[in-house]
Amino acid sequence: MNVVVCVKQIPDPAAPSSLDPTTHNLVRTGKLILDDSDSYGVEMALQLAGQVEGSEVTLVSMAPGGEVSGLRTALAMGAAKAILVSDDALAGSDALGTAKVLAAAIRRAQPDLVLAATESTDGYTGTLPVQVAELLGMPSVTFAKSVAVEGSKVVVERQTEAGYDEVECPLPAVVTVTAGVVEPRYPSFKGIMAAKSKPVDTLTISDLGIDPSEVGATGARQGIVQVAEAEARSAGEKVVDEGDGAQRIVAFLEQIKVI
Amino acid sequence: MFQWTDEQQAIRDAVRRFVAEEIEPHVEELEHGDMAPYDVMRKMYATFGLDQAARAGFRQMLDRKQSGDAPRSRRPGDSRAAMTLIPIIEICHHCPGIVTALGVSTGLAGGTIMKRGTPAQMERWGLDLLTLDKIGAWAITEPDSGSDALGGMKTSARRDGDEYVINGNKTFITNGPYADTVVLYAKLDDGSDTPVRDRRVLTFVLERGMEGFEQSKPFRKMGLHSSPTGELFCTDVRVGRDRLLGETEDEPGGGGRQSAKDNFVTERAGVAAMALGVIEQCLKLSVAYARDRLLWGKPIGDFQLIQLKLARMEVARLNVENLVFRHIEMSEAGQSLTLAEASAMKLYSAQAATEVAMDAVQLFGGNGYMSEFRVEQLARDAKVFQIYAGTDEIQVTHIARDLLGR
Repeated sequence: MNVVVCVKQIPDPAAPSSLDPTTHNLVRTGKLILDDSDSYGVEMALQLAGQVEGSEVTLVSMAPGGEVSGLRTALAMGAAKAILVSDDALAGSDALGTAKVLAAAIRRAQPDLVLAATESTDGYTGTLPVQVAELLGMPSVTFAKSVAVEGSKVVVERQTEAGYDEVECPLPAVVTVTAGVVEPRYPSFKGIMAAKSKPVDTLTISDLGIDPSEVGATGARQGIVQVAEAEARSAGEKVVDEGDGAQRIVAFLEQIKVI
Repeated sequence: MFQWTDEQQAIRDAVRRFVAEEIEPHVEELEHGDMAPYDVMRKMYATFGLDQAARAGFRQMLDRKQSGDAPRSRRPGDSRAAMTLIPIIEICHHCPGIVTALGVSTGLAGGTIMKRGTPAQMERWGLDLLTLDKIGAWAITEPDSGSDALGGMKTSARRDGDEYVINGNKTFITNGPYADTVVLYAKLDDGSDTPVRDRRVLTFVLERGMEGFEQSKPFRKMGLHSSPTGELFCTDVRVGRDRLLGETEDEPGGGGRQSAKDNFVTERAGVAAMALGVIEQCLKLSVAYARDRLLWGKPIGDFQLIQLKLARMEVARLNVENLVFRHIEMSEAGQSLTLAEASAMKLYSAQAATEVAMDAVQLFGGNGYMSEFRVEQLARDAKVFQIYAGTDEIQVTHIARDLLGR
């Protein structure tokens, strides 16, 4: 079974970040790390691949400057190889442009199953995986809290507000996983040392036969028009207990649908 | 070398995550004796595949011993030093005691058996220590002989037919209260009138529960609470030659005295890495506190006396980091530190860590004296760096002797 995981390499959220003053895009120069939300997909893929002999996990990513630091982290966890698309023409790509590139790269890996996070930690559009599925002509299931492969179908427990739905669909398919799906493993020291010699196939858009006008800032149909500071948080409501404190707290929690 | 490589950073990040998830939340329990360090150590080994690596390494060492080849010396490209020291530094940000318990069990106890033992002894005791399936202790110090451990040793091994009868006490023994396997040094009593001071030092392996062998409860100590330390008592402990490391009294490679000294360079480089961990953490906490703590309406970092402390900490961090990097780079080039270099590295790093940690306590003021702010624990823990693995004073003599003896 070939399992492909879409992984995003992002600026370290713990480090100071900045937006380009002209394009308002996140500045992505320097070392990138594996998006933490993708580590769940990598772990899920490794567990599924481990259940079927001869299976392999391939990472697919798009990043500027041939950046592989985040990919090495996922390779150290146990993925076999990676495909990286890196091309100056991709700067300023919107979600659909990125989906076109990833879909073209994924097609090369001939996957039985494609996993992705529900959304990235830096962009948060949450639209890319289903766009990839559509471009690949595959069914997609989102918000998986558990994933199992049974013969030629994938069985998913799909998280909902009220609980979860049990969903089945034929393979190949695209499935997005939530952070609760599995606990990502630590890379072993041996895995870390082995990761540097695992193959990373670095491609340009011409390798993938993509027209430059369809991607990057030129092909983008989405743009960031304006960036504004987040509204300051209001002071909140102070509840003075006059014998009915507990009831008022319960009423408040019900109002915000916590209970 | 001025910074970690990408692979080394990946190892550092992985260990840092493990420390944050598995050690930092339990520091209070480890500090107050509610949790022994061994389960955390074993979890770390299993998590990073170090138990499997130990098994593979054991096989190679055993094969070399069985084929009569010399132990593998350092070779160019050897990355073992960095792989060992990075976890030490990271764990010492929060809990130096775990490093001590781990280093003594695998490095001193396990390492001595692997270096000096016969293939049968390696298989009998070595593998379980290297994988942490069993916990080891290394017993040389006695109540009346610390720095003069070899000369002043009173524990004796009296020959009795094909056996030995061991009597004596050991103290300040890391893992002593809980060890399954103990490497214990004793002076040979062959019935001759050789002065005790000059008698051969033999190395034995004892195990928990042997008749006449007692292990004390953990001592109460100034610091390093997460590393259990205790006494060992031998009263007519009868052992066969199979428990004498190497199964010979003929002192191959210098015997028990050399066996003890063999560990000096590795152990001292390890202490320098521990010191770096403490210094890094104290500096990080102190910078954050100097930014946040307001006095007279401004952060205390604006005051020059606080700035002086931070500057001294940064100087110490850079110096100790450079020493650790130098050791790693030499190892990767297939070279070893001389005894003078290793001793100098340990002497400087231990003093620097103690000074930095005490400065951190002072910078934090009253809060620094409170355990909640963590620097008081690091200050208590750091002090032992100047005492164990050879006191500051012994480091000075070893540096001088090595220099003058060339």
